[in-house]
Amino acid sequence: MRSYAFFALKRLIQLAVVVFAGTSAAFLVAHFSPISPVETIIGRVSGQSSFSPAAIESLRATLTELFGFDEPLWQQYLNFWSRFIRGDLGPSLIAFPTPAMELVMRALPWTVGLLTVAIVLAWLLGNILGGLAGYYQNSRLLKGFGVIAIGIQPIPYYITAFLMVVLFGYIWPVMPISGGFAMEIRPAWTLDFILTVLWHALLPAASLVLAGIGTWFLGMRALVSNIVTEDYVTYAELAGVRRGTIVGGYVIRNALVPQLTALAMALGGIFSGTIITEQVFSYPGLGTLLIRAVNGGDSGLVLAVSCVAVIAVAAAIFVIDLLHPLLDPRVKVG
Amino acid sequence: MRFTALATASSLALAACAGAAIGQEEGAAPPITEFPRDQTLILQNPEPPATNPPNFNIWVAGNGAGWSTGLHQLVMDTLWFIDPDEGLDGPLYNQLAAETWQYNDDFTEMTVDLREGIYWSDGEEFTAEDVVFTVETQMETPGMTWSAAFSDVVETVEAVDDYTVRFTLQEPNSRFHALFSVRWNGAWIMPEHVFSEVEDVMAFQFNPPVGLGPYTLHSFDPNGYWYAWEKREDWDRTALAEWGEPGPQYVIYRSIPTPDNRLIEMANGNLDVIHDLTPEATFSIIEDRETARGWFPGFPYAHPDPTLPMVIFNTQRAPFDDRRVRWALALMLDARAISMASYRGAATLSAIAMPPTGTHPDDYHAPMQDWLIDYELDLGNGETIQPYDPSIGSQIAEMVRPQFGEDVPTEEAAIQRAFGFGWWRQDLEAAATLLEAAGFTEGRGGWMTPEGEPFEFEVNTFTDGVINRMGTMIAQQWTQAGIEVTPVADPQIFASTLPLGDYDVATAWSIETWGGDPDLSYFLDSWHSDFVVEPGERQPARNWQRWSSPALDGIIEEVRTTEFTDPRNLELGRDFVRLMVDEMPVIPMMAYNVFSVYDTEYWEGFPTAEERPYANIVNNWANSKYIFTQLRPAGQTEGD
Repeated sequence: MRSYAFFALKRLIQLAVVVFAGTSAAFLVAHFSPISPVETIIGRVSGQSSFSPAAIESLRATLTELFGFDEPLWQQYLNFWSRFIRGDLGPSLIAFPTPAMELVMRALPWTVGLLTVAIVLAWLLGNILGGLAGYYQNSRLLKGFGVIAIGIQPIPYYITAFLMVVLFGYIWPVMPISGGFAMEIRPAWTLDFILTVLWHALLPAASLVLAGIGTWFLGMRALVSNIVTEDYVTYAELAGVRRGTIVGGYVIRNALVPQLTALAMALGGIFSGTIITEQVFSYPGLGTLLIRAVNGGDSGLVLAVSCVAVIAVAAAIFVIDLLHPLLDPRVKVG
Repeated sequence: MRFTALATASSLALAACAGAAIGQEEGAAPPITEFPRDQTLILQNPEPPATNPPNFNIWVAGNGAGWSTGLHQLVMDTLWFIDPDEGLDGPLYNQLAAETWQYNDDFTEMTVDLREGIYWSDGEEFTAEDVVFTVETQMETPGMTWSAAFSDVVETVEAVDDYTVRFTLQEPNSRFHALFSVRWNGAWIMPEHVFSEVEDVMAFQFNPPVGLGPYTLHSFDPNGYWYAWEKREDWDRTALAEWGEPGPQYVIYRSIPTPDNRLIEMANGNLDVIHDLTPEATFSIIEDRETARGWFPGFPYAHPDPTLPMVIFNTQRAPFDDRRVRWALALMLDARAISMASYRGAATLSAIAMPPTGTHPDDYHAPMQDWLIDYELDLGNGETIQPYDPSIGSQIAEMVRPQFGEDVPTEEAAIQRAFGFGWWRQDLEAAATLLEAAGFTEGRGGWMTPEGEPFEFEVNTFTDGVINRMGTMIAQQWTQAGIEVTPVADPQIFASTLPLGDYDVATAWSIETWGGDPDLSYFLDSWHSDFVVEPGERQPARNWQRWSSPALDGIIEEVRTTEFTDPRNLELGRDFVRLMVDEMPVIPMMAYNVFSVYDTEYWEGFPTAEERPYANIVNNWANSKYIFTQLRPAGQTEGD
């Protein structure tokens, strides 16, 4: 037990170092962006108006001071950490003075909702079908599914997503191709609203499941194909253990450890958003927010999204590290 | 069974998460049941989804509020509008002002008489106090959108009475009214009775907005993808009422980032107006959908905006400081190929530094044809040529006719409006003579500079779209003519490359005009040599070419002391055009054609190029507000 506590402490220190390093890197990348939010705003304000050059210069000076860009970078870095420790990631510069985290929290539930469902469904379906295909290697149905999975897996996701838009939005227009819910329905805790959210999420979620299922399927089938040759499986079969028990209890369960690790990594990656899905389906989420932040040179917002992503991925790895010794006794904690 | 349970649980998780997202905004939108399609107009908003959807404070620069979400078309208002096309009764609208601006003799004072009987959407009357508050608040609050513009010009502003405002200016300024004149947007008037109660104007969300336009906020997507507006019951107490009752009861602006989805939504009847498509997508939907059409009834369909895509030379860098080199590069271009590459032929060319749109063809292009045809270019070796070819527009029309048939106009006047009048004839021999006169030599590997180095440079252009295609084709043509030119896709072209002068040659624009008025002050004042900076310093908009000349300064200074409506402005504009042809600091190419498409399945009465060009169909312009008064449900006659 002591050795496990020591192991956990080491991993916790690693987590802190990763968060510090990742966040610092994000700070530097965000601040070295060649895109200036001041110029982005000036471009928008003056680009379509009869502004004199002198007025533009005045606006530039004001915004530079307002955003704190007149301070040296090291000072901005220290300011960032002093705010970060207090849980404040500062204002967004393209939605000034709205706190960047407020914008992140507005978009986050959409991304988490859509991706969690899509990743978990793809993981479940892919692993179960892959496990069965690995065990029942002579099944025609599962062989057929394997061929389909191998066929779909290399198709770039944007092609899959676009084909679904064309198929279900244009050729057979039965599903919504944009937005998170119907305009006619008021956002509230009503059955109508929940159903419209599900209806609008169906196509983007299906595209993600379709794109993700093949990888899980092929990975699991390969793992199981190795496990079925193990002695304990042969022994169980000879002992007359039910096939379902062998597949579910012995084979798939033993093959699940690496797949669980990969699942945790995938779930941690959710917080980076899914830019292509959001673009293709005009679906709300973190990806769109991140694009806007990058294009607008909004270092505050880029940092906020990056910090959430860094912390999420690091935390996911941390949790998996802690769980591994519990799931698999072969893992040493010393 | 387990799968079903898991799927159900996952779905509920999704719903819960989405619900949590929406729950934050609960209360922001009123309850509704539906938007009856025959009472609802749906338009595409070209802005990406608003970064800060619940924010409607349009007076704060960079607060993440959307502008062309319907907010500035349907809710905001100001003193005057200048239409980029012909307008309902001429391009100049006295909107909140009862008549045009009144300056004193030396342009140090401007007095405005306001309309009476105009009301804010919350029932308060609009008065001179609102105008005074708008100016004073922004002058006192740096960071607001028009604060710098006012602070640099206004000395004092006072309400003479409830309906009269007087501005005293720091220096003579004959174009001060331009700040309150909408070309796309303008300085919108703030509701004094709302903002005077606000402690922090910069942080105020202004939700729901209180406006002077005929619509109020109905509801909006907390994610910023759509905004729905409803007609005010007292729409007749707004300035727009002069032109009739707006047709749609509801107006929805939708942000649809991908062109494919816009096309699909219109094909499915979920979108009445698309702001912009690619040329190819436009051709496709017009062919497939009977009720869809563009600004022109046939080819080239698109609306020419009063913006002039061009080749911009950095005239502070050699050899682009030499007009012979600039002219040589112009004569190496084949405008027909550039039109086909960029717009698939659907470009409206302009050989002169003036967008061929709105009233400009009548004011500039047509009357200057003879001068252009007779124009003689000195090649530097004693020879002259007449480089202008008035038939280029007709040649392009013939090039696209085999594909588009009857959609391509046949009458000369229609061809000139659609494809442009003419352009510079490609003349590689004359270009070579000019380069040789400038000290260049032609070797086996191509042109060499006077210093004996290969003549090579980059062309900074857009990352995608028609301007990217244009820049790439131009670079290719120069390369074919013996100059090593590389196109560079530049995402920061307007934000840093052009302002910092960090380029040799670029394809972008430095000329934008009112469109509906011959006055050029909108862009030209910023071209004065007073504003041209040293190399390496940041150049204020819009003289990206950093070009100056005493003759140009003379024109600008005379414009400054000439009243806006004085016919002399047209003469000064033509002098400017002639000077630009002589010096060629930029190579004008074409209008910025916007492929707006509208569908008449549900609504009719949109402006058209051939019959009623009363407004710009490009719907993110605030000027598009006049269109709403002309719309009626499809199939309904005028008297219904």
